[in-house]
Amino acid sequence: MSLWVDKYRPTSLGKLDYHKDQAAQLKNLVQCGDFPHLLVYGPSGAGKKTRIMCVLRELYGAGVEKLRIEHQTIVAPSKKKIEINTIASNYHLEVNPSDAGNQDRVVIQELIKTVAQSQQIQSSTQREFKVVLLTEVDRLTKDAQHALRRTMEKYMATCRLILCCNSTSKVIGPIRSRCLAIRVPLPSTEEVCNVLTTVCKKEGLLLPPELAKQICEKSGRNLRKALLMCEACRVQQYPFSADQDVPETDWEVYLRETANAIVSQQSPQRLLEVRARLYELLTHCIPPEVIMKGLVTELLSNCDGQLKTEVAHMAAYYEHRLQLGSKAIYHLEAFTAKFMAIYKKFMEDGLDAMMF
Amino acid sequence: MSKLSLGQKVAQSKVNRWVDPSFTDLSGKSALSGVRKGRQARLSKDELCGSNRSKKRRGEASTSSSTTCLDRGPPLREQDEPWVDRHTPRCQAELAVHKKKIEEVENWMRAHADTKALKGGAVLLLTGPSGCGKSATVQVLSRELGFRVQEWTNPSSVDPDVNIFDSEPAWRLNGFPSSQSAQFQDFLLRANKYNCLQMAGDGGSSDKKLILVEDFPNQFYRHPGSLHDILRRFVKTSRCPLVFIVSDSLSGDSSSRFLFPKEIQEELGISCISFNPVAPTTMMKVLVRIATLEAGKSGGRVSVPDQSVLEMLCSGSSGDIRSAINSLQFSSLPDMSLEKGLWGKKKDRSATSLGKVTSTTTMRKRKNKETKEQEEEQAIGGKDASLFLFRALGKILHCKRGNTEGAGGCHGPGLPSHLSQHHRQTLLVDPEVVVERSHMSGEFFNLYLHQNYLDFFSEVEDVVRASEYLSDADFLTADWTNRSSLGEYGPSVATRGLLHSNSTQVSVGFRPLHKPNWLLVSKKYRENSLAARSLFADFCLTPVSLQTELLPYLAKLTNPLRNQAQITFIQDVGQLPLRLSRGRLKLEVLTDKEPGLFEVNSEEEEEEEADGGQAGQGGGLPASQPRPTTGQDLEEEELLIEEYDSD
Repeated sequence: MSLWVDKYRPTSLGKLDYHKDQAAQLKNLVQCGDFPHLLVYGPSGAGKKTRIMCVLRELYGAGVEKLRIEHQTIVAPSKKKIEINTIASNYHLEVNPSDAGNQDRVVIQELIKTVAQSQQIQSSTQREFKVVLLTEVDRLTKDAQHALRRTMEKYMATCRLILCCNSTSKVIGPIRSRCLAIRVPLPSTEEVCNVLTTVCKKEGLLLPPELAKQICEKSGRNLRKALLMCEACRVQQYPFSADQDVPETDWEVYLRETANAIVSQQSPQRLLEVRARLYELLTHCIPPEVIMKGLVTELLSNCDGQLKTEVAHMAAYYEHRLQLGSKAIYHLEAFTAKFMAIYKKFMEDGLDAMMF
Repeated sequence: MSKLSLGQKVAQSKVNRWVDPSFTDLSGKSALSGVRKGRQARLSKDELCGSNRSKKRRGEASTSSSTTCLDRGPPLREQDEPWVDRHTPRCQAELAVHKKKIEEVENWMRAHADTKALKGGAVLLLTGPSGCGKSATVQVLSRELGFRVQEWTNPSSVDPDVNIFDSEPAWRLNGFPSSQSAQFQDFLLRANKYNCLQMAGDGGSSDKKLILVEDFPNQFYRHPGSLHDILRRFVKTSRCPLVFIVSDSLSGDSSSRFLFPKEIQEELGISCISFNPVAPTTMMKVLVRIATLEAGKSGGRVSVPDQSVLEMLCSGSSGDIRSAINSLQFSSLPDMSLEKGLWGKKKDRSATSLGKVTSTTTMRKRKNKETKEQEEEQAIGGKDASLFLFRALGKILHCKRGNTEGAGGCHGPGLPSHLSQHHRQTLLVDPEVVVERSHMSGEFFNLYLHQNYLDFFSEVEDVVRASEYLSDADFLTADWTNRSSLGEYGPSVATRGLLHSNSTQVSVGFRPLHKPNWLLVSKKYRENSLAARSLFADFCLTPVSLQTELLPYLAKLTNPLRNQAQITFIQDVGQLPLRLSRGRLKLEVLTDKEPGLFEVNSEEEEEEEADGGQAGQGGGLPASQPRPTTGQDLEEEELLIEEYDSD
């Protein structure tokens, strides 16, 4: 039994639930034969990967769905061995080069070279190119991105690239200009609700529209998250009730408690407790950036209007530091301390104002 | 084996004669060569004395051998004998070791004196920095308690001619040297089994015996396992106590930890007593005693250095009494006046024998410049001062500052009024020096600081600034391309930032310090991310959405998973304890003399290191550390403060 997310994932462009215009355009693109490099971007949970897989199916037929996971070892010029997982069919290869960390340039060059050098066997019935799908392009180092740009031109005859990322801001201009950029926005609330209801109907369940709406809000229109939530609701209680609690992930609850702890008391001792909690989150694989973002969101909801700008400004400053620095805890803690100080001052000023 | 046959002694004393003896016949020669000769003489004497060496060092001049030595040959001129040997402590009162420590060792020796009652092994491990009186304590105590000491020394296999006299039967029988470790095993076995022959003149010697090992065969440093095997065998059959003496070193490769890891200590029931460096007050007493004695004896040829010189020697030696006495002897040589020119700018320290008048004036001058010249102060033979990590962190975190306005006046105009909140008293420590002496990389020092600084702050506003500085420090050293040029600034920014931002100096008293959690956390983060990626590769998700969306919900769903590894991983990582708890991370207390984690460069190494570090540094205090709530606690802390002032 697989997850609902996987089970009811649309497999062809015609079956997509939303952004149907875009789907039609993609279909045209495939049919007119001159297929460009693609750069698919949009927030997480909007359906980028689903859409890409649909395009691939449109290109090659059902054969692309026979996936195999391969473990590849690439030897860098410095004789260092890099191990990376790839997912491949006969027609395409999917890889997340940022898995290789600093060595991602080597991965890109070597993998694309090997794919591009082997021609398709039956070029009469099939496309004359293969597709390399690179995910998380925005996490690539600048080095790797520049390497990518050369490779793109060089192997254009036998290979097309589909790049997938959350934001194009970290993708260098030359790459952006070599690709057809396709933005996949988040589905609207109604669209999410529709998807949830149809999935439930296929499962033979009845989803009250209020609950669907609640799930949609809680998930922030992230469809993957919404479906996972919906499934968790099903585990929690069935038949659904309209006002039942939508289960949240543990780390989100934990982070909210952390934020509450920060707001309720501002002292070095409390900061020490918060640090322990941050460490706990980190050991549970929550990336520092996500912690930062979640923390800021929770803290902002506790803030007065005029405080918000200042807090957001500090958050941006330390988020940047987080990217530049090497040890996340320094910056997370510095932000927490800063917030404590700002908040404490604000509360004290407020008290003073009340007194007079 | 350690006892030498008479013939050998004769040979040795003969050999000794044609070595040009040391210090006093410098006149006419250049001072430098004189110094070198002095050293050479001592060195060669050490070498030649072979097995006698370590006893001569600081232990009692091993009575029988040295007296015969003097009988046979023409007696050494008195000045030739190093003061260290002449003034070896003869009773407990003369030992420059803390009373409690002596008592501890004494109790152990008394408890293990009765060889019949012994069950299992009686092994004692003494650790401590060099020159803190470990060997002397053993020698004095064993004399007082009537133990005969049998000591192991490494046979030197360089020159067969010298070693022909070595009473090493295995050697003579086989004709070629057996391995050192085999000899060591042999020695232990025989020292354990057989008693010494009763010599005629040896009357009154008891049958109590103690085996002392200060020198370890080289091989054990490469394969400590072989030492452990030998010890295991020894412990099973042991009939007399065995004492190991190992000197501590500050850098991480402490040999006591290496040779005697915690698990071996437990397995073999090795008791461990660690010595502290000699306290400045105690050392002063000893130095004053020796100086006055010598001055009285020599009748004016040796001038007694005045108080300030002694203090300087004392601080220069950083708790090593052997080097302190050596440099005392050196600095009070009459010929020092000749060398004045050569010592150049150091004259105000070493030219003490020029006469009272000049020396006192220079001393006064020196006192004025005292703070600036603190670094140069370490006189001849002064050791490189170094700090244990615990102390180094304490120096930064406790933030000692001068306490009066008076001193601040002469440092130029004060800050303008709008900056007055940044005014601080002068620092008593130099942060860069502290970091340097801690023998750690700046980044690691910062991690330790970060782990511990919050305990020393009381205001959130101060914490903000401190944390900001730590963040800056990390930012400075993050990029490897400019790490070489900015590397020094990182710890500088962090330490000075911490010191400056701690505006309200609350004296917090004693606080335990902890080891940084970050290394463990980041290692776990990396490992878990990798595990997640490989275990759930078939979901084809990006790491972020895998870790933040899929895994936590999988924990809440009832989907059957493929294998056990996935299930345990989800239970471990996907779920968080939702109670307001301190989390699962345990704080590891940093003990007094623990070395820091080692230098780490690349990520892979970091993983391994962190692993090794965790394994190697089993927490918990060694048995001899002061327990809280005993009287010793207070005294230890006083000692700590004294050391702060001395630097």
